[in-house]
Amino acid sequence: MPRTGTIKASRRNVLKGVGMATVGASLPPVGAALAQGAPAAAKGPKLLEMDGKAKLAILGDKPLVAETQAELLDDDVTPTAKLFIRNNGQVPDVTGDPKAWKIKIDGEVNTPLEISVGELASRFPNVTYNLMLECGGNGRSFFSPEARGNQWTNGGAGCPQWTGVRLADVLKAAGVKPSATYTGHYGADPTLAGETDKPTISRGVPMAKAMEEHTLIAFKLNGQDIPLIHGAPVRLVVPGWPASVSTKWLKRIWVRDKEHDGPGMGGFSYRVPKTPIVPGSKGNEKDMAILESMPVRSVITFPADGTKLAAGTRKLDLRGHAWAGDYDIKTVDISTDYGVTWKTAKVNPPANKFAWQRFTASIDLPTSGYYEVWAKATDSKGVTQPFTAANWNPQGYGANPINRIRVLVES
Amino acid sequence: MTHVVVITLTTTFLLLALDRAGELGRKQYVYVPPAPKVEAPPVDPEKGKPPPHNDTVDDLPDGKGREITFYTCTACHGVALIKAQGLTRDLWDSTFDLMLEKHRMPPVKAEDRAEILTYLAEQFPPRRKGRGNDNPFLK
Repeated sequence: MPRTGTIKASRRNVLKGVGMATVGASLPPVGAALAQGAPAAAKGPKLLEMDGKAKLAILGDKPLVAETQAELLDDDVTPTAKLFIRNNGQVPDVTGDPKAWKIKIDGEVNTPLEISVGELASRFPNVTYNLMLECGGNGRSFFSPEARGNQWTNGGAGCPQWTGVRLADVLKAAGVKPSATYTGHYGADPTLAGETDKPTISRGVPMAKAMEEHTLIAFKLNGQDIPLIHGAPVRLVVPGWPASVSTKWLKRIWVRDKEHDGPGMGGFSYRVPKTPIVPGSKGNEKDMAILESMPVRSVITFPADGTKLAAGTRKLDLRGHAWAGDYDIKTVDISTDYGVTWKTAKVNPPANKFAWQRFTASIDLPTSGYYEVWAKATDSKGVTQPFTAANWNPQGYGANPINRIRVLVES
Repeated sequence: MTHVVVITLTTTFLLLALDRAGELGRKQYVYVPPAPKVEAPPVDPEKGKPPPHNDTVDDLPDGKGREITFYTCTACHGVALIKAQGLTRDLWDSTFDLMLEKHRMPPVKAEDRAEILTYLAEQFPPRRKGRGNDNPFLK
């Protein structure tokens, strides 16, 4: 069950003029010059206007890609309206009878299944978890020079509540053969060119991840039917891994006897260099390895970047979320002096495995003036966030530099 | 006599059979007006889809090759995606391969490809100032 209860802003913080909320969307990474940014960034991103969705920052409108601004990621459980949007192709038509929608399980199984969403929900145990969904390219905009693709800051992520059946239960019902190695996922989204007979994208995971108990075929998002834009009527949720494996509008799971080779599995797609390459170079496909677990990341969700604090403010109670793919968060550290000294934040346990974790800290602001507040999370393996986006690659995966916001204490 | 027995028995069986079939206990017919036709709510296949979106050539910065770039690229995706990039000619070139190979873009004539690449490399070069823009190992 989701944790409830909002962490209140300290009364000592008198916030005013949070009018720069969109600045965060274009905040450059630590280590980059501050006076950067294209003219478009200065105006702030174009905001989404869509029924049932908050005013997310649009990264691309065809296909629609929109990220959640850091200060909108503050809820313990991400509301559906605030969940980021990533499409690779077109959005398929609404289905008339969601329960009649069928998915197929075939390939390396003893009994191929073709099962409707209605049967799926009644035949297998229904489970509900808070699960991270995160775009593989989250953080891409922090790379310098630019890497190819949608320029996400940290907003290609959210942790809503998902209800569905375990993929493992469905695969077991089909009888997984010993030859089964990998899954290949197919959705109903037409390609950008409008083709419906070819997959827009088809990625998969090794059997161990497919059989993990938090990997779901989901039919509810925050207790409601999944909206079309998020994959109605049924989608995969493979938490902690690039969300491109969490196929929306799920139609088929092909159990493979080798690593899946659908569109999005090869080349530089969802891959990071095995050995570091020169930033800005073309790289070599042979030197790339599939990005599996997403890297450790922290995001300060309160206050917003660009907040002005009233004269005399000497304390700031901040909060945020941290997560680390397949792993838990061990610590989150906060610095207000560019990493010279660090203070340990309080980190709550996750609602369940694969849910993000809340961190809170009360920091001193000894004088008026300009502060950068940095947050750095460390995962249960002891792996922390780098000061600048590391391991540059042509399509920009794995950028997770230390998070920072800027606040001004007025004098 | 035989006739009376046969008729009596036949009648008895017939009545029993009808009774079992529920025919004798049937209530009087009551007029039930036909239910008003419930129109299945029309499913709007567009409901829940992203807002419509149209780019024009003017959404790209002016320059030689703008038209052919616009019509070649926006057959599939929006202008915003192009404008968000900042790539060297080399990386624009490999982006072209990605579109052809992964996204099944229709083949483009060599001279058109060269014109598009020149436009993209001139209009959308790497522009992030920072520690990565002057790498000594990048030719």
